Amino acid sequence: MATRANGDVELQELVKSYGPVRAVDNINLHIPAGEFFSLLGSSGCGKTTTLRMIAGFEKPTHGKILLDGVDMTETPPHKRHVNTVFQSYALFPHLNVSDNVAFGLRRAKVEASEVKRRVAEALELVQLTGFEKRKPVQMSGGQQQRVALARALVLKPAVLLLDEPLGALDAKLRKQLQIELKTLQEQVGITFIYVTHDQEEALTMSDRIAVMSHGKVEQVAPPQQMYEEPATVFVADFLGVSNLMPAEARGDDGRGRCRVKLDSFDLLAGRGDSSASGATKVTIRPERVRLEAQGSAGENRIPAMVERWVYLGNSVQLIVRLATGQVIQVLIQNSGDEIPFVQGTPVQAYFPAEALRVLIDTEALAPPMKGQAAATA
Amino acid sequence: MTAIAVGSGPAQRSALARARVWIANPWGRARFLVLISWAYAISSILPVIIAIQFSFNSGRSVSAWQGFSLTKWYWGDPTNSVWNDPTLQSALIQSLKLAGLDMAIATPLGVMLALGLARWRGYGSGPANFLMLFPLVTPEIVMGVSLYLVFLYLFTFIHPSTAAQVLGHVTFSLSYVVVIIRGRLFSIGRQYEEAAADLGATPWETLRLVLLPLLMPAIFSSLMIVFAISIDDFVISQWLSCGAGCDTIPIRIYSATRGAPLPSVNALAAIMVYFTLAALVAAYLLFRYLTRGERPAGGHGGATSMVGDMGAF
Repeated sequence: MATRANGDVELQELVKSYGPVRAVDNINLHIPAGEFFSLLGSSGCGKTTTLRMIAGFEKPTHGKILLDGVDMTETPPHKRHVNTVFQSYALFPHLNVSDNVAFGLRRAKVEASEVKRRVAEALELVQLTGFEKRKPVQMSGGQQQRVALARALVLKPAVLLLDEPLGALDAKLRKQLQIELKTLQEQVGITFIYVTHDQEEALTMSDRIAVMSHGKVEQVAPPQQMYEEPATVFVADFLGVSNLMPAEARGDDGRGRCRVKLDSFDLLAGRGDSSASGATKVTIRPERVRLEAQGSAGENRIPAMVERWVYLGNSVQLIVRLATGQVIQVLIQNSGDEIPFVQGTPVQAYFPAEALRVLIDTEALAPPMKGQAAATA
Repeated sequence: MTAIAVGSGPAQRSALARARVWIANPWGRARFLVLISWAYAISSILPVIIAIQFSFNSGRSVSAWQGFSLTKWYWGDPTNSVWNDPTLQSALIQSLKLAGLDMAIATPLGVMLALGLARWRGYGSGPANFLMLFPLVTPEIVMGVSLYLVFLYLFTFIHPSTAAQVLGHVTFSLSYVVVIIRGRLFSIGRQYEEAAADLGATPWETLRLVLLPLLMPAIFSSLMIVFAISIDDFVISQWLSCGAGCDTIPIRIYSATRGAPLPSVNALAAIMVYFTLAALVAAYLLFRYLTRGERPAGGHGGATSMVGDMGAF
């Protein structure tokens, strides 16, 4: 299939309310053509509602949806040049595979010979040649998933919307189809907007990810950046980033670092938003924590106790309890030398300022913002 | 005596014990339940079978068996058979006419109502859905009298006639159609409609190409239910009857059995049973045929989902 130059999606101040509940709360996103974009979040975060608004099944309460610069907020779903792969596949049970795939082409009044050619092409793309006469019920979940994909792709949409398309499949098949989907997306070159609650799925396939929570976008970033540089407490928590420590942020120290207070210890965080203030969390990667002998002097140091020592082969994992009561992980490279921190050793944990990240706690910010949004709406 | 008692006692006990074990059979088929089910089935079907049997009586009695005649009371007898007795023949035709018109009017109307009610979100949909079920719980006699009074005092342009009877039957059977179709609509959900719209189908195309084919099993179930309701309706047909010309099979049977009944009345009743049975079998087979694509081999569905769809009320 030919690569399309278009497929640029823009969401402007998108809001969807169900009574007093804001399922989608003021989303602004720009998804350039050809991108594999994922909406990631737990159930009820508004990701599916967002997708359904792009498809046209839900009408936004407020805001705009632009496709290639054209406002399509008021366009009914059957006139939008986007197609959806449903979580349940929604293959028409009374039609066979070939008629399912041909359904959209026939609605578009494509000539019969052309329909035949393109259906064959689409089925070949998803490796289902020879299954034309099967009914959906006679196929496995993975095969049905491919039919759903072929049925949407055959129309050469500008944007393909995928609503947890691998959700109903077993783990092994998911892994395989993740790779296939990504390959397929690169092959056809159209914009994929992919909704999932599975962070691994999103990290594996996406060019960029938007993590959503409570109808809002927490952070938009490429997978690696999302994982390594989470901006908010929610994202860090959701992606399972280790060593999240509650702290009190007290603003910039004048040199681009944020002054944070952990319990009674004053630290400087060189990464993240240095102007943060109020109750939040800080994080540091386990391999960036340094353990020093008890009583060593200097900034960003907290007394600690080694609680557990786990040999991992190329490294050693230490579970350390800080004087603040917080338990953190520390990874030390196994260089062959003996690691002196056996269980029960009192040590000094050093958090280099350039490795300590202060996060934004959107949960704490949420109530006043919601009230404000409701007041202005 | 003693010898006999000693000899037969253990044998009797063991026979009884064996019978008990056979019936109780805790590790195998529940034979006791099977026995009860059969007893129930026989007790409920037996009178019907006897009535049908006498439709094949070669004599004129409906209580004394005088030999077998396959066709006499159906069409063999030149004056008193169903086919040749004008009152019985007209009752048969009237019943079929009412049932046919009822099917033709109530089913499409019910489908449209169900579509509207199922897709109507917002204020008013709750009460409307509830009101729709009202005829199901209204005693038929109340329905009959109400319709009679309405036609007598309010809509006076409708006189007791075939038209009035059709209106009555449609009013009564409409709810059944709505309930069956709505049940099916809820079980298929909105996903196929959304998928069709997503693939570029206009609302009309979605209805024609996706919704109606998926509703077909329920539509056929509805047709058959409407037929069954209409064909054995007595109360409404009687209240809105225009006299002898409007007599249906049940009315005819009722008045005939109060006089001197001939086996031709049994034949007429038997014909009604044949029609109803044929309707149910046809509904079942068609439902099986139309939902064959939705049934994984050996899985649930088929009769179960037909019971589910038809048993929604």
